[in-house]
Parts: sequence; C-alpha cells; structure tokens
Amino acid sequence: MMPIWTKSGKKHAVTLLKVQDCHVLKYISKEKNGKTAQLVVGGKNGSPFSKSKSETEIFREAGVPPKQKLSVFNVTDDALIKPGTPLYAAHFRPGQFVDVTAKTIGKGFQGVMKRWGFKGQPASHGQTKTHRRPGAISTNKAGKVYRGKKMPGKMGNIYRTSFGLKVWRINTKHDIIYVNGSVPGHTNCLVKVKDSKLPTCKDCNKNPPFPTFFADGDENLPEDLYDEEVFQFTDPSVTYT
Amino acid sequence: RNSSDEKPAKFQPPPKPVIIDKLKQIEERRFLSPEFIPPRGRTDPLKFFIERKDMIQRRKVFNIPEFYVGHILAVTTADLYAKDKVNRFVGICIQRGGKGLGATFVLRNVIEDQGVEICYELYNPRIQAIEVLKLEKRLDDQLLYLRDALPEYSTFDVNMKAETRLDHEEIPINKLKVRMKPKPWSKRWERPNYNIKGIKFELPEKVMKEAQKWRKPWLEFDMLREYDTSKIEEKIWKEMNEELKK
Repeated sequence: MMPIWTKSGKKHAVTLLKVQDCHVLKYISKEKNGKTAQLVVGGKNGSPFSKSKSETEIFREAGVPPKQKLSVFNVTDDALIKPGTPLYAAHFRPGQFVDVTAKTIGKGFQGVMKRWGFKGQPASHGQTKTHRRPGAISTNKAGKVYRGKKMPGKMGNIYRTSFGLKVWRINTKHDIIYVNGSVPGHTNCLVKVKDSKLPTCKDCNKNPPFPTFFADGDENLPEDLYDEEVFQFTDPSVTYT
Repeated sequence: RNSSDEKPAKFQPPPKPVIIDKLKQIEERRFLSPEFIPPRGRTDPLKFFIERKDMIQRRKVFNIPEFYVGHILAVTTADLYAKDKVNRFVGICIQRGGKGLGATFVLRNVIEDQGVEICYELYNPRIQAIEVLKLEKRLDDQLLYLRDALPEYSTFDVNMKAETRLDHEEIPINKLKVRMKPKPWSKRWERPNYNIKGIKFELPEKVMKEAQKWRKPWLEFDMLREYDTSKIEEKIWKEMNEELKK
C-alpha cells in the first residue's frame, strides 16, 4: 500500500495489484450456464503437478501454461474473447470503479469477542471465570438455539469483496493497477478484480477498452496512465491561489 | 654515442610530474536517505522499485536536502487557511520515520511558551521548500526526550538565518547533554532500552542502578534481528545515481 496525492493536496491510501500472466482459458456458452455466457480466466503461472486431470485439460486446450488461480466472469455475448488471449492491466482505465474479491487472512479458531465483536464481561467486580464468554445464547421462550447463532469458530480464510474502489493509476509496463483503499487478503495473495456492480458507479466508465485491451501494437499507451485528479511527480509542488 | 647517426638523438622531454590532490582523493561522502532502504518483509521487491522510481522523480523536481535528526529546518507548505496561502515552520528534527513515499519527519519548536511539534511528509506535494538552517548531528537518533527537557533546549528563533555548508564532508556532532524537567517524564528515559546518551541524568544513583535491571544484553547478539543493509544500499545508491543523471 502506498500514499497517493491529488492535485488539491489530499492524500489517499492506495493498494497495488499486479496483473501477472493472465489468460482467458475457457468459454462456457449461455445454454450450458443459466442466464449469461461465462469466461474462465486464469491467473499467475504455477506448477503443473498439483492439478487435477480436468484442469490440465483446460490448460492444454487453451495452449497456456498451468495457472494457480481460476475465476469465472459472467459476460454478455458481444464481449466474448477467444481462449488463449492474454489479459493486461490496461483493460482497466483510471477513473473506473472496481470490486476486488480475495480470501481474507485466516485467523484460525477465534473466540466470540474477536470474531463477532461481542463486549464480553468486566475484568473484576466478582466475575467468576467469565471475561470473554458469549453470555446468553437464546431466550427461554424460544426453547432452542437459532441457526446461524454467532459463536466461536474458524475466522478468516473466506472470500470477501470490497466494492466500489476507484482506480487511480495504471502502469502498463509492469501491469500494475493502483486501487483506492484496502483490499481483502494478505500481501502477495491472488485476487479477482471486476468492474463494479454498484448503481452509483454505472456511469463512471465512459469508453472502456471493449472487449479487452489487445497488445497487438495498434495503440501505444504511455507507461503510466493517471486519473485527472492525481498529482504526478513530474509537476511542480501544489500551490493554492 | 653512435657517430653513424647524422641527426642528433631527438630530445625526449622529462615525464610530467603527477600531482596527487589529497583533498579530492578523499571519497565524497555517500548519504542514502533512510526511507529508500526497504524494510524486512515478504513484499515483492517490484513494489519498492516502483516506489523508488516515484521518489526519485519527485527529487528531480523538488530538492530534498540531506538532513539528520538534530538539524534545524525551515519548511514552507501551501496552506489553504493561512495568510498568503503559505505556512512556514522552523524547528529541530526530532524523529525520521516511515519508509518509501510515506516517509515523515517531526519538527519541534517552542512558540510563545507552547511546545509545538509538526509531522511533515517528505514527499507531500504541498511542501514548497525545505531549508536546512543549522547542521548538527546529536548523540542519539531520536530526540523525543526534548519533550521532557527544559524548554530552552527546544526554542529556536523563527527568523534564524541559514548556515552555509562548509564542504561535502563531516557534519559536526553536538555532544550537548540536555537538562531535564523534574520527573515524571513521558517515558522513562533512564532505562537502557532507549539507549539515550544526550541527557545529563541528575537522578540519584539508586534510580540509575534500578534502571539497569531492564538491561537486555543478549539483544546485540540476536542473529534473527540482524538486517545487513550494506549490499541493498549499494544497489539502491547505484540505481539512484543513474536515474538522477538522466
């Protein structure tokens, strides 16, 4: 995570996400899947040994080295891409809003105070062996404990999404996306980045590269793409008038 | 001599004396700002490389002088709510923290009997100028104990004039021993974990002896805490010089 400053002098914290060897792997048609067509995308290259037969087949058909993470995207029919095409960070543009999904940091078996934020009991004034316990778990009338009652258990290591994160900057040379705020997961973990589903962010992306950014050599993008408000370090210091 | 030669032997002038200028031979002191050295951890070195590129880019446009803890600096920042939209603060650098673009330094001064500390970010674009007014290193690498010292040690004239730099060598070390206000202090500065050499402790011997109970003599031999930065520093120094020349 890094600081980034806007032209008005405000500071925002930014997470760096690297698009490492991403390829489109498979196309699942609308008829096979329920409502929309789907594209399976693979991330970072990994070892071919711990992969099941079906997975290795997918990689072989696409003609692509085996990947560590596979994720599925729902796609409209006019945005289909041929399996085997590489995907780059320039697929996203600064000013766009993005949802990031990843597995949260695993905390292991945790008690009710850390896992659900319960208040616990006081440290003194006669409490016998009860300082971090849940207390009452249900009422007398119910006569049972409801399903989904918050209790101690394994915390973390589940998929969670941060919605509506603004993309401030894109580095096309190293394929890095600078995304506002924090993102679930530990450092160097694998992450899924999607266009935002929030209704407030519908009109934010004017002309995205559709269906994706193809590095054929037609458009030579500059090494760094900045949002309009971002202060670039080549400019002189910010002054107010 | 050969008499068969018709022409006389060509005059060979004596070899020119080689003058070794000892002043120039002394290597230029290298100062790598501490925020360039990446902390120990599992982050990808690519992240530090990209951050360094941004830091060097900022340094090309704006001059960040070499300074240590104990220097007296004057910082002018752009401030929306100030008269003339510009704010100038003079103070002694107490502490330098943070790595990468978020590197900070804290300046302390006593203005109208009120101690003021301001934490500035080195790479904040609102900073218009950083001037070094007085150059002197102190015995410690953090001067947080000035909060519990007598206010005379933290007062500096706001209209102080800049001191000119002598050479590119040897920043003087001020071996000043500071006198403290009576206890209680914000931290127990006599304890060995702070390792402070710049205070004149006027405490009874009993208290000083008791403080040595918290000594951890095994810490300097702890191999897991070793972090040898010499090679990393060399690499970063070369990289920085190459980029700054461009």
